[in-house]
Amino acid sequence: MLLNLKKMVQTLSIINIQIIYFSPIFKLLCALKLDMESDWGSTKFVVEQFSKWYRNNAKTIPAPTEIKLREFAFLTFEGRTMFRHISFKDEVVLHRYLIDNAPANSYHSSSYYKHPDYDMNEKGWIGADLVFDIDADHFNLPCQTEHDKWLCRNCGKTGVGKPPELCECGKAQFQTETWLCEKCLQAAKNETQKLLDILIQDFGFTTKNDLVVNFSGNRGYHVHVRNKNVRYFDQSSRREIVDYILGTGIKPEYIGFNPKGHGGRSILGDEGWRGRVGKALYDFVDDSSSETIKSLNLSRTLTQNLINKKSEFLIALQNNHPSFILKKFAGRDEERIITDLDTILKIAIKQQSADIDTVVTTDIHRLIRLPNTLHGKTGWQTQTINPENISDYDPFTNAIVFKGEEVKLFVRWAPKIRIGDTTYGEYNEEKVTLPLAVAIFLLCKKGARVIN
Amino acid sequence: MLERDAAKYPFLKEAVRLVDALNIQLNDLADPSFSKILDRATERVTEAIIEGVVEAKLEDYMTELLSYPVASMLVSLKGDSFLDRRYALAEAVRIYFLLMKEDSKTLFDIAINEFNWDLQNTKENYDGQTYPFKLFFNNYLHSSSIFHEDKWKLVNRILKNGYVLLQQNEVARLIQGEVEMLIRERVSNRVNFDLPSPIKLKLEEISKIFEENRRKIGAEDLPLEVIREAFPPCMTYCLEGLLSGRRASHMERFALTSFLINVGMPIESIVDLYVSVTDFDEALTRYQIEHIAGLKGNKTRYTPPLCDTLRTHGICRNKDEICERIKHPLNYYRIKAKRVIASQPKENGTNIINN
Repeated sequence: MLLNLKKMVQTLSIINIQIIYFSPIFKLLCALKLDMESDWGSTKFVVEQFSKWYRNNAKTIPAPTEIKLREFAFLTFEGRTMFRHISFKDEVVLHRYLIDNAPANSYHSSSYYKHPDYDMNEKGWIGADLVFDIDADHFNLPCQTEHDKWLCRNCGKTGVGKPPELCECGKAQFQTETWLCEKCLQAAKNETQKLLDILIQDFGFTTKNDLVVNFSGNRGYHVHVRNKNVRYFDQSSRREIVDYILGTGIKPEYIGFNPKGHGGRSILGDEGWRGRVGKALYDFVDDSSSETIKSLNLSRTLTQNLINKKSEFLIALQNNHPSFILKKFAGRDEERIITDLDTILKIAIKQQSADIDTVVTTDIHRLIRLPNTLHGKTGWQTQTINPENISDYDPFTNAIVFKGEEVKLFVRWAPKIRIGDTTYGEYNEEKVTLPLAVAIFLLCKKGARVIN
Repeated sequence: MLERDAAKYPFLKEAVRLVDALNIQLNDLADPSFSKILDRATERVTEAIIEGVVEAKLEDYMTELLSYPVASMLVSLKGDSFLDRRYALAEAVRIYFLLMKEDSKTLFDIAINEFNWDLQNTKENYDGQTYPFKLFFNNYLHSSSIFHEDKWKLVNRILKNGYVLLQQNEVARLIQGEVEMLIRERVSNRVNFDLPSPIKLKLEEISKIFEENRRKIGAEDLPLEVIREAFPPCMTYCLEGLLSGRRASHMERFALTSFLINVGMPIESIVDLYVSVTDFDEALTRYQIEHIAGLKGNKTRYTPPLCDTLRTHGICRNKDEICERIKHPLNYYRIKAKRVIASQPKENGTNIINN
């Protein structure tokens, strides 16, 4: 049993860990054994820089609330083992640990435990923050073909963007290399803003008391809700919240779109999903060309009305209840109306929902990145940001913490990247001299090595 | 509190206090003078089994009040989790019907004093309907958690600034949800002690009726063999995905594995299945499967996630008419298996993926 656990822990650290998910141990089944190329990344150099940074800055890292009840976990650059089930009695001890170990990646439990340092079954779960993870890895973005690559470990085929479900050789054994750019971080930020809107307007959380927003240090954002009311939620309540945020399970008749309904006002000014769907529908019809509308394969009547009576439709949406609109523009075939509504709502919901990771939020034993520590895959800081100013937040400037002399590197490959005000790259099999911040980034991404 | 009200809502703290004050002992129930109470208690349970709802018999309110704890005890003694749930629901439905006739003050009293709800008056109009109540979403999520109709999903409610808008009958229904959970918890506390013979006889009577109705109310066990055609569409999707080598999410693998274990596929076969189609390490795979089966780790045998959970994680696919009736993939399997067995001639056999 002990041996098995050790093995599991080792396997875990090999996976491209964004956020560690540990609770049903089964998760590990997915561990594709990616062999990191050990000669890339100049680990020793990076470790020295991390150590130096922690020596100077560890004291500025605030402990998570109720530190005594939290489990901590760390990964180092050298080993593949995750050090977990660690607890700290106060901030001072945490700082000491960070200075002494300069971990590559640091995590804390979103949960509160009676005995955070005990084994999983004996920890004594008290509660857990409600956490949300928004990660550009989960999006399908065109920019991924510019900076992400994969290699099939079975047949050697390579490609750009996300790997396919199956390689042509019939296997699904991929090694991936993921970078980031302004487009993916902007997309992640947009989703975070939508999430915050829903949490504030619909759920009534406040930025002042309940919400902590962090840039993850790599490709996304994390939102923690720390509020006594949510702490004791079981998985089923958390699942309902996830479904709410993603718009999963919305039935048109409950947000006004009932062909049999009557009465009521326009939903455009309504709160919650009613208003969101109304606005998305308005924008969609307003912005779509006739070709786009035709491509939806809606009923003939509805298609013609959306094209020929577009302005009339938009005015009706502003002034009338959806049931009236359905009667006026969607024809009489009720079954058809329902299929058409599904098609249109899917588009509206996709536009208005916030693309969160469903597993992270429903997991009540989650380890999540410790805010304001360094991210081992970028060398950037996992930063707590003011939710009020999120639109002005620029990770390419704000999260860059390394300052110092230039470093000589040999770069294997690196896409174009902006750091601060300067754009670097793309580099391909070449020697370059770069500022420390840029060098650290390329090294952490394993795209380069230090040369003398 | 009036005894009549206590008889209506015997789960209320005051009603419980009223009953406690009478200090009735187990042996008292064996006394002929209590036979009316014992009879009514038995009747409550049999009504729950057969009708799915306990009738409110308020003429003799003392009998009605006192028979409630006795009925709960009988269910608890029977010790069958299916009966626990059926009885709790039947009592809760009784309460729902009574609450429907109450004014809003009574609803407020129960919601606030018994369940600590943050329930407030409001006056909002949507779709031509008035919503006179709003309930804090925490309370809403708790009380609606055992409902599975689309209309109770939070996403289909009007949620504003932390409050869910409600109509009066919906408040009553949510109280029903709380009561159902309360009773479920109460009766699932297993008790075991020597029973006076009149009670023993009543318990036997209940057992007999429960067994007679088991099939009808869907409490029968799963078939012994694994019937591939009876898999719900979501599990077929997971299994076919695995067989075709598609990369599957953790949740997908967890759902499939726990499903296969629960329908009785041998662990050996599951290990073979994974190892044959993926490059998973056999020892590790075996460990993880045994963990889900409850042979390792914290010894919990996992059941597959609820339909709702599968939907959240994008695993619910190709729903069919059976899906509309169930909340759990194993219930789908139970229903479909019955049909498959009934429709196939014996000698032909079913497509069994067992060894």
